[in-house]
Amino acid sequence: MPTPALCIRNLRKVYRRGNVAVDNLSLTINEGDFFGFLGPNGAGKSTTIHCVTGIAEPTSGTIEIFGVDAVKNYREARRLVGLCTQEFNVDPFATPRQIVDWMGGYFGMARAERKTRIDFLMDRFELGPHEKKAFRELSGGLKRRVVLARALVNDPRLLILDEPTAGVDVELRRILWRYLQEINGDGRTILLTSHYLEEVERLCRDVAIVNNGRIVRQGTKDEIAGAPGGLENAYLAATGAAADHIAGQ
Amino acid sequence: MSGTKSGINWIGLYTIVRREVSRMMRVPIQAFIAPWISALLFIFIFGFVVGGRISSIGGVPYIRFVLPGILMMNIVNASFLQSSTAIYFSRFLRFIEETLVSPMSYSEMIAGNLAVVVVRSTVTAIGILLMGLAFGATTVQSIPAFLFWVVAVSMIFGLMGIVIGLWSKSFEQLNVLTVFFITPLSMVGGVFNTVEMLPPWLRWLAWANPFFYFINGIRHSMIGFSETPAAVGYGFTTILAVVMFLWVLRLYSRGYGLRE
Repeated sequence: MPTPALCIRNLRKVYRRGNVAVDNLSLTINEGDFFGFLGPNGAGKSTTIHCVTGIAEPTSGTIEIFGVDAVKNYREARRLVGLCTQEFNVDPFATPRQIVDWMGGYFGMARAERKTRIDFLMDRFELGPHEKKAFRELSGGLKRRVVLARALVNDPRLLILDEPTAGVDVELRRILWRYLQEINGDGRTILLTSHYLEEVERLCRDVAIVNNGRIVRQGTKDEIAGAPGGLENAYLAATGAAADHIAGQ
Repeated sequence: MSGTKSGINWIGLYTIVRREVSRMMRVPIQAFIAPWISALLFIFIFGFVVGGRISSIGGVPYIRFVLPGILMMNIVNASFLQSSTAIYFSRFLRFIEETLVSPMSYSEMIAGNLAVVVVRSTVTAIGILLMGLAFGATTVQSIPAFLFWVVAVSMIFGLMGIVIGLWSKSFEQLNVLTVFFITPLSMVGGVFNTVEMLPPWLRWLAWANPFFYFINGIRHSMIGFSETPAAVGYGFTTILAVVMFLWVLRLYSRGYGLRE
């Protein structure tokens, strides 16, 4: 049996004030999958991602990335991952080229390797004309492109995208979709969280729905979205929002 | 990926240096010009205005006695300010997450930040030293000893700045150590006077003050004047630097102030 790209077992995350963000969550994503991770705000999606990438420390449970323990052997595990965060966690005075270049540097990429990769990403996300402006001077869409380029600089085997198209225009959304489908076609594994269900339906093959820190529904997209009402109804039913939704209508 | 020979991510470490130097060069007046102007004013006041009215201390003119202490205060301020603001702002703006999600080790992250601290402090110190030499306000007895004190003290206060940067939850807290610890202890640590000039009942305070050993050490390297055996200062400072490093490494390993 091939090693999964991501294997989370019994993950639990309790914050200092006792708030249980993730509760006994288990998840397996196979290599090459395009996996949709859905759930309402505060369901535990970002916390799970933060535990996988080292931004948060799991309270208990295990996380393996391509068979490498993400806590005990964190250096090797992190080489395999690229993260596009939901928030713009960058130095706002730095330029897009600096931001992407520094990230490549943290991953140990040599100067020539970084330059080739950054030139490609600047071109791919049409950041060339803006690469010497300060990040804080960029529009929301351009900022999103920069953090995407940063996530891709190390050409990760597992790409984690936490609401990458939130607040971006249609043009970028389509550029991004095309690119994600292309790199997924090349064998890259992608974990995507999004509030846009049509985006998940269009891109993902497998889906998990999380609510109150637990996975409440998991399966292939076709299984989940195949029922009457499609993915939206399945999502609302799984998160317990169906009654409210119907009442609202 | 290259740059990880001997298990050390040298490129990652150097990238932290590049990032912080870039940040530092956005504020060159604060980083370098301000301490140099401040030192120049001290040379003028203590050398030409007040100095002429004060008899020599320890057989040296007053300005020669005072300048090493002024230089040390600038090293302390530069190193503490550099690391505390670097860590605090990277936490506040959350770009510290860039290094947390990367394959960098905690000791590489600390070493990268410390390297910039040492660069900033050394440039500040050499600028003040050159001004002192140009105005005949100081000498250098031992360059290796001078460099030891610049590097060792900047590392200690750079590490202290990291601790405060990790601990602070507001700009106000960032200044707590400077206001209540660094400034008072450096002022009474022998910048302006010898221990002998203090009343006997107050001398224990000087001996117990770590700043006394830093100021005394760099003064010895510059003008050859010392109030303690050299080994005491070297030993105390080296041990303090190692203890501070281990403490900061422990905080990083626990994710204190870094990870959720």
